[in-house]
Amino acid sequence: METFGYTGKILRVNLSAGSVSINDTLKYKEFIGGEGMSMKIMWDEVPAGTHPFAPENKIIFGAGPLCGTGAPCSGRTNITSLLPSSPFHGIASSHMGGYFATELKYAGYDLIVIEGKAASPVWLRIEDEKVRIEDARWMWGKGIFDTQAMVASFMGKEAQVAAIGQAGENLVNLSVIRTGASHSAGGHGGVMGSKNLKAIGVHGTGSVKIAASGKDWLELDAYMMSIIGANNQMVVPSTPQPWAEYSDKSSRWTGRKGLFWGAANPPVETGECDPHDMQSVGLRTMKAIFDLGAGAEKYTVRMGGCSHCPIRCHSQLKVPQLEKYGLDPYVANTCVGWSGPRGVMCYGIKDFDGNTGSDASIVGNAIGTTLADDYGVWCNYAQIGRDLKYCYDKGVFKRVLSAEEYASIPWSKLLSGDASFYFDFYERVAFKKGEFSHIADGSYWIAQRWNLGDDYWNDKSGKLWTRGGYPVHHSNEAGAQVGALISCFSNRDSQNHSHMNFIGSKLPVALQKEIAGEIFGSPEALDAPAVYTKMNVYKAKFVKYSLVRSMLHNSLTLCNWMWPMAVSPLKERKYRGDTSLESKFYSLATGIRMSEKELDETAAKCFTLQRAYTIMQMRTADLRNTHDQTTEWPITPDHAKDGSNIPQFTPGSIQMEKSDLELGRTMVYKEFGWDETTGAPTRSYLESVGLKDVADRLAAAGLLPG
Amino acid sequence: MGVISPDKKEQIAGAVADNPGALPADREAYTSRLIEFIRAESSAGRLTSLSALASRFPPPDELSRELGFSITSAIAEVPEAGDLKKMEGSSDAWYFSENTMTGNYALHLLRTEEKDPLMLIAETVRDESRIYPRPTDLTFFTDPPFSMNERELRQALGRMELRPDMSDIKRCAASNGATYLYSTRYLGETLAETLAEWIEVGQKQNP
Repeated sequence: METFGYTGKILRVNLSAGSVSINDTLKYKEFIGGEGMSMKIMWDEVPAGTHPFAPENKIIFGAGPLCGTGAPCSGRTNITSLLPSSPFHGIASSHMGGYFATELKYAGYDLIVIEGKAASPVWLRIEDEKVRIEDARWMWGKGIFDTQAMVASFMGKEAQVAAIGQAGENLVNLSVIRTGASHSAGGHGGVMGSKNLKAIGVHGTGSVKIAASGKDWLELDAYMMSIIGANNQMVVPSTPQPWAEYSDKSSRWTGRKGLFWGAANPPVETGECDPHDMQSVGLRTMKAIFDLGAGAEKYTVRMGGCSHCPIRCHSQLKVPQLEKYGLDPYVANTCVGWSGPRGVMCYGIKDFDGNTGSDASIVGNAIGTTLADDYGVWCNYAQIGRDLKYCYDKGVFKRVLSAEEYASIPWSKLLSGDASFYFDFYERVAFKKGEFSHIADGSYWIAQRWNLGDDYWNDKSGKLWTRGGYPVHHSNEAGAQVGALISCFSNRDSQNHSHMNFIGSKLPVALQKEIAGEIFGSPEALDAPAVYTKMNVYKAKFVKYSLVRSMLHNSLTLCNWMWPMAVSPLKERKYRGDTSLESKFYSLATGIRMSEKELDETAAKCFTLQRAYTIMQMRTADLRNTHDQTTEWPITPDHAKDGSNIPQFTPGSIQMEKSDLELGRTMVYKEFGWDETTGAPTRSYLESVGLKDVADRLAAAGLLPG
Repeated sequence: MGVISPDKKEQIAGAVADNPGALPADREAYTSRLIEFIRAESSAGRLTSLSALASRFPPPDELSRELGFSITSAIAEVPEAGDLKKMEGSSDAWYFSENTMTGNYALHLLRTEEKDPLMLIAETVRDESRIYPRPTDLTFFTDPPFSMNERELRQALGRMELRPDMSDIKRCAASNGATYLYSTRYLGETLAETLAEWIEVGQKQNP
């Protein structure tokens, strides 16, 4: 039977048995794809209480029905498994961009489900219908860069590779799976390592069929390209430009006259990228200067990115100074791929080893990023640097390390801003050398192991959002209660940009409020920056929209750094985007007609399934009090210079209020149709969306609200 | 808006400016040349002053003798020139085409042309505090399209402090030392400081 959007095949790999088989994707169609389908498989097949590193755990690499169709910004791979750094090993997803998921679709697969454990190191080789489990003994122990090169030497440079480094091999909780030049999925590297799975190489010669006519597809594509902005759907340039009514210096639309990809030959001027000019979309986001400062211009060769994405938000640099340290001068990454390692130098990077000024900062950062990427160390959304600083400043390392180990660490380099500290740090972490290496267990586990106490959790500069051990990630600083609540519903840092792609658009607040009114029912859904108001039902709708869209994007798979597109850069559209684009693309690709509302409700069902699994793992239905609470600092008033409290909701304060957030939780639970006391899904809701079996299993475990 | 390369824009502007030729007495032809010039200049990111139009394209005698004729009225009478917008400066008027330039950008250019840096700063800061709302980084004025030099900016700021009509313009600083201006008509001190800190430091800490 012909399938559209989907390939129709799930690749099943049992590493214990050394066997490979195929399942029918369409059995899971009601869960869309990617993360949604992965949640269903985990629910059905991995019992709660399984350890992430147990052979019984599964790791699922998922593409969705839009991946490989050419839909803009559809090059995401979703990876779902149990998360080692979570206190209860919560089910969670990580994501990577690049070209892996697209190649997987071309090879003929929607998902890869991997279970068991190989007897010795292996790698998975996928070439269309030929799937082999290969000996990885010569790859094991190598960094990710060499591993990728070795796979490419076997499969050809067209192959896409997902690999772990030594950190994943050594079951470091904070480890990544990486693909391509610069794309890392944080948190599940150790799961691959626990299965003795070093890498997956995939090469496909097929294609993805779509139900729509080419004409209809191209029309929708052209329409979307008229709405697309720059990275994070910022629709306003960073400098005043003739075509633009507005500008904002902190916009990621950094393209302008006189700004170049300076290390290209010849240098490429980004220029004033009129939003009507489709050929200049890829020049809008000169991310290197955004992430690394103005000094990065001369090191930038080009901007890279993911398959079928015109935005190109990954900075590809040539830093010749790296060769002095035995490192490749070519280094690429984006966003926290830079700032996470930079945060490890928690007292700053200063002049070192002949590198001065902004060059020192960039060379130093490039060293850190290169090592993190090659060893495959994750930063827990930059939390590892903050944990390092806390533990140093509070004397924790002096307390928990032996005198000998403490003396062996080059603290003077860290304190003086000498970036060669990175060599020692990443080697200890990746190879689990000494007690110090536990810094990469994750915040919850180091708090337990090193008895860090309440001060650690409640330290505002530490930015830990919940006692789940993950930090702020577009939380209270991003749309008041909207961001705050979004961050409460995940089992890891929320990785959610659904709200950011709107409130961070850089349009004037009054205009954003108008648009918020059209989408959520009232302009009150959106607060002006640092002018926060009390919780209301429209904010709750905004929260649900954001959570649901993130699940939807991870299921279709689309890039949640760009989607949804609530706004546009076009004055003639009054800056309105189109939040129904996902359903339009899905309907055209698959031939399954779904309205925006229907697709959102399907994603809400998938999100609810994740919630149900979490309940089983935490063994309580009372997620309100055990899972959804923040640490103390977000709900503590700031202090004025005279020491007096600044009440929440005073202009200038972004602090939350406990009772107001509790009201917010209640409102969000209600929006989802969950029990309003506990935040657990109800039988009524579960049965209404075809999840009676989930209700039955929760009830049997005594975990269904009465 | 069509897309014209920067080189082409300059070429068009130059061609129209350098070749006024024998200005046709015919009103329509004469007005068309004015309109073309304004549009070409606008494409190149420039305003066109009324005085420059009069100088480059002096109206033929036959037209200037007409009762009520003016360059302004001639342009205004052309239905197809609806994209041309006129702004009144203190001593001249300025045209741009909204096909290639927005009103806000044109206003930036107008304020620069007025050669009154104090008013430029004060009015721009007020607009930013009102429209977005946000405080304004000082480097906004040293970068294009204003391109003030540091000394000019420093002097202007100093003189502004002596102007009672600019007493609403205040300074605040972010923790990294960046200086911002804001208008107390639209922003309070605490909010301005918070926003400046967020722009300079907070956003980088929350990528």
